[in-house]
Amino acid sequence: MGNEAMHEQLKKSIVDQDEDAVLEAVNKALAEGMDPREVIDKGLLPGLNVIGEQFECEDIFLPELMQAALAFQSAMTVLEPKIKEAGGAEQKKGTIVIGTVKGDLHSIGKNILKLLFETSGFEVHDLGIDVDLFKFIDKANEVNADIIAISALLTTTLIGQRDVIDALKDQGTRDKYKVIVGGGATTKEWADTIGADGWSGSAYDAVVLATSLVS
Amino acid sequence: MIDLIEVFDRAEVGPLISETDYYMKRYVPKLTELIARYKIKWDKETIINADDDLTDRVFQAAVDLLAEAGAYCPETNRVMQFSREEILLACSQAPKSATFGEDRERKTMYGRRPDTTDDRPWVHVGGGIYTTDEQIFMDTVEKMASFDIVDSVSVPSILHLRGKDSRVRSPQEILAACKTVRLAREGIRRSGRSGLPIINGISAASQPASMFAASYPDFGLRPSDGFLIDFLSEMVVGYEALQKVAFYNSISANIGSTSTPLFGGYAGGAEGVAVTATCYMIMGNLIFRGTYHYNAPLHSKLHLSSTKPLIWAIAMSNAAVGRNMGYPMVNLPYLGGGSGTKQYHYEMACYMLAIVTSGGNVFSGHPAMAVQSDSLVPDDHKFHAEMGLAAAKLTRAEAEPIAQKLFPLFGDKLKDPDKGMTFQEVYDAKTKQIVNSEYQKAMDDVRGDLAGMGFEVPVC
Repeated sequence: MGNEAMHEQLKKSIVDQDEDAVLEAVNKALAEGMDPREVIDKGLLPGLNVIGEQFECEDIFLPELMQAALAFQSAMTVLEPKIKEAGGAEQKKGTIVIGTVKGDLHSIGKNILKLLFETSGFEVHDLGIDVDLFKFIDKANEVNADIIAISALLTTTLIGQRDVIDALKDQGTRDKYKVIVGGGATTKEWADTIGADGWSGSAYDAVVLATSLVS
Repeated sequence: MIDLIEVFDRAEVGPLISETDYYMKRYVPKLTELIARYKIKWDKETIINADDDLTDRVFQAAVDLLAEAGAYCPETNRVMQFSREEILLACSQAPKSATFGEDRERKTMYGRRPDTTDDRPWVHVGGGIYTTDEQIFMDTVEKMASFDIVDSVSVPSILHLRGKDSRVRSPQEILAACKTVRLAREGIRRSGRSGLPIINGISAASQPASMFAASYPDFGLRPSDGFLIDFLSEMVVGYEALQKVAFYNSISANIGSTSTPLFGGYAGGAEGVAVTATCYMIMGNLIFRGTYHYNAPLHSKLHLSSTKPLIWAIAMSNAAVGRNMGYPMVNLPYLGGGSGTKQYHYEMACYMLAIVTSGGNVFSGHPAMAVQSDSLVPDDHKFHAEMGLAAAKLTRAEAEPIAQKLFPLFGDKLKDPDKGMTFQEVYDAKTKQIVNSEYQKAMDDVRGDLAGMGFEVPVC
């Protein structure tokens, strides 16, 4: 099988959200001598792009998105050691710390965004829900993050987004990270008011925003 | 029905599982399997389903979903399991009516069957999501309560104290919740209908402590009002919800079980939302001991409920419960257009035609995408209640062609909806009469357009 056909098989296996088929295609590609980074860049990521587009068009929904992400993660458990063996480092767009602010227990929107970030090539550290503001900062320091992404659904929890930015300013580390905000109660005006680096009303647009911020 | 303490115990004894595994190994595959098993399919065109066999299959799928996937308690990381027999017994014993209010305002909301054309549905107006300026808060509540056709109100939230935001879980939030309730009751008293029930208690409270504090009788809420308890995320029954269940059952208050299944979320598309929304009504009765249900499915990206597949799914869940359970339901419409816009009114007319003919009671809607502070305009809500009462004269089959004519008038605008007006832009500050001619004209024009489509909406 030629490389182009192999790329197509990898891509299709992701689009089909078929974890077994993904692993089979990955192992086959590696057995035929394909560079593991080529497996990712020309096979798996194009498949994830299709998944992202289908999600945006409402042809598929969160469960399918999660299946594709899980299949991709399984493939990465095979590919990452191969990349390290070859002395290379996994290519990633950037590192994002994500979570829902303190006092807010809503997770679905944040989970969708996390998956889209991951499937777009970002390394993502998900802190979950009800996150203390200093956990955002400590984690960002620990993983040398590029972006801190903060979600808030409730009007009464919006303040938590401002608190993270204020704390970064107090610590003198505001310029070290890009801070983006989103969630049901947020607006572009709110993001501007608190001095965020960006706001998005949809998960797909947030990926575009994050990509532009790390470019 | 199994008793409440037994229900609470189910959160302590079910199988241990992570939240991700609950969704990916139980809820999502089971929902997918049930949609296939019961051949549930939306044809991508119909807005108001009138196929009773399909409706009943949705109900069966909802029963099986709870029986086979269970609910999830995040505090204990356990699946709350209920047998099919326990679920069906709860369905058969679900309340068929709920009585609200005091004295001459004391009235009963009934569970309705689809295609009932000879009853007068419950009329609920208002909205709890607005952050409303205190100065017009009481004017807004008073005006809503003063409409004769209104049986109950939802009141806006006051989230500021001395001009500052009240933070979630803060002592200020408790004070804001108490103040919201006190001012709301005073606004209702000023309307001359002091017994009128508030059934979205308590809009400014995000935590049990705030709800319990604001429930102190001197602030003006009574067990004959309605107290909302919500499922936080798909199929999740958290301790905070169960704490509210314990308290409001202990004071024999009306409980509004509340759910917001997300289109595009774990529930997937139209079919999954229809089944999950129906399942929530069963859970609301069995787990929360609700006396009525607040059904509020929502689009995960657009944050509204007036897309075609969502209206189909919401109407379907009403019909499924109306035919098989009889639990009283109101449905919270989140609409794209801003207050006073033609888009807002067209969306509401389409929604009312679908939901009221399918068995729901009447509930006016929120502007959602174009929402802004002080945008609860009471005459919008009166107009929408009039739409609901007019829709109650129709069957689903009669309503469907009108809904199809209405949808193109707003469907393409949902991603970029028309901006609306605020209370202050519509009313004279002293007389509270409409002084904005543009606002009045939009309403008159829409009423004329609806009549032209065969949907007469009389002024009440």
